[in-house]
Amino acid sequence: MTSSDRQQALLAGARACLPLSPGVMLFGMVCGAAAAAAGLTPGQSFALSWLVFAGSSQIVATQLFAAGAPGWVIVLTGWVVNLRFMMYSATLAQHFRGTSRFERWLAGYLLTDQAFGVTLARVLDGRRDIPWFFLGIAATLWLFWQIASLAGIYLGALVPASWSIDFVVALTFIGVLAPLLRDRAMAAAAVAGGLTSVFVVLPLKLNLMAAALIGAAAGIALEKLWPSSQPGA
Amino acid sequence: MAELATWGVIAALGLATFATRLSFLALLGEGELPRWLRRVLHYVPPAILAAIVAPQLLAGAPGLAATLDGPRTAAALAGLAVALLTRSTLATIAAGMAVLWGLTLLRW
Repeated sequence: MTSSDRQQALLAGARACLPLSPGVMLFGMVCGAAAAAAGLTPGQSFALSWLVFAGSSQIVATQLFAAGAPGWVIVLTGWVVNLRFMMYSATLAQHFRGTSRFERWLAGYLLTDQAFGVTLARVLDGRRDIPWFFLGIAATLWLFWQIASLAGIYLGALVPASWSIDFVVALTFIGVLAPLLRDRAMAAAAVAGGLTSVFVVLPLKLNLMAAALIGAAAGIALEKLWPSSQPGA
Repeated sequence: MAELATWGVIAALGLATFATRLSFLALLGEGELPRWLRRVLHYVPPAILAAIVAPQLLAGAPGLAATLDGPRTAAALAGLAVALLTRSTLATIAAGMAVLWGLTLLRW
């Protein structure tokens, strides 16, 4: 590929990020505001945003910080939420042959659900400029996310508590969850995870870990019992 | 938690997350995830997302005697319906917050 082809692909990626930006920025603001509200300093809240750079994991860590969980539980639970990135990494890597180490490490740092999802659609279209398209969309998304986080960290506290704005976190997660409920097994995993977190109280705030494992077990069990469900992709 | 310990937790989670993302990109796609692990990972996101949302619909703390909070549960169901229909996070938040605020104003 010539350098002008690469530039085109980078720009195409950046443009593809624009339709996603309202949702991304709202989620970023919510994550920033939640971290600040949980008692993290602005510096720590922003570090969570650029070091972890994964909304659900940031919210999990924030809630566990607020609940006074031990550090190793926060790291372990926040990491389990992010294990799905390993699947994305495996898929993306097949299209990154011929790129430099810097480009691959940068792609790894910038990997998110949305950037991966949109890039995968381009892979299925048979395009060959995947690495640069991905870097374009992922870097643009990163920039929007960091700006939104800073806004949330510094402006979140101005919203009155009576507005119940904390509930925006729950609604954001419902918005992320809904498209995943494609078949019975995925729905079973969600129901089992939700019920576990409501009824099971474990020491050291290990409830979310338990919910993840029980939910995954429920999904796999249903997939086996009811083979019409989609197998794990 | 002490300030230094908090920094340590944030840095450790950041590094663990980066290592997970980089894993196969660094290997250039050599090697594959075992099938059983792919299936577990497939089901973890819905389980954990639901596990984060569900306790926020309760009137009190989680436990065997947990009871639902009316307005929050109604708002979550409205949000879920809109999310399934529109796939739009913004519409989901708007619908859920409208229901929550409406019911709170009516002192339901």
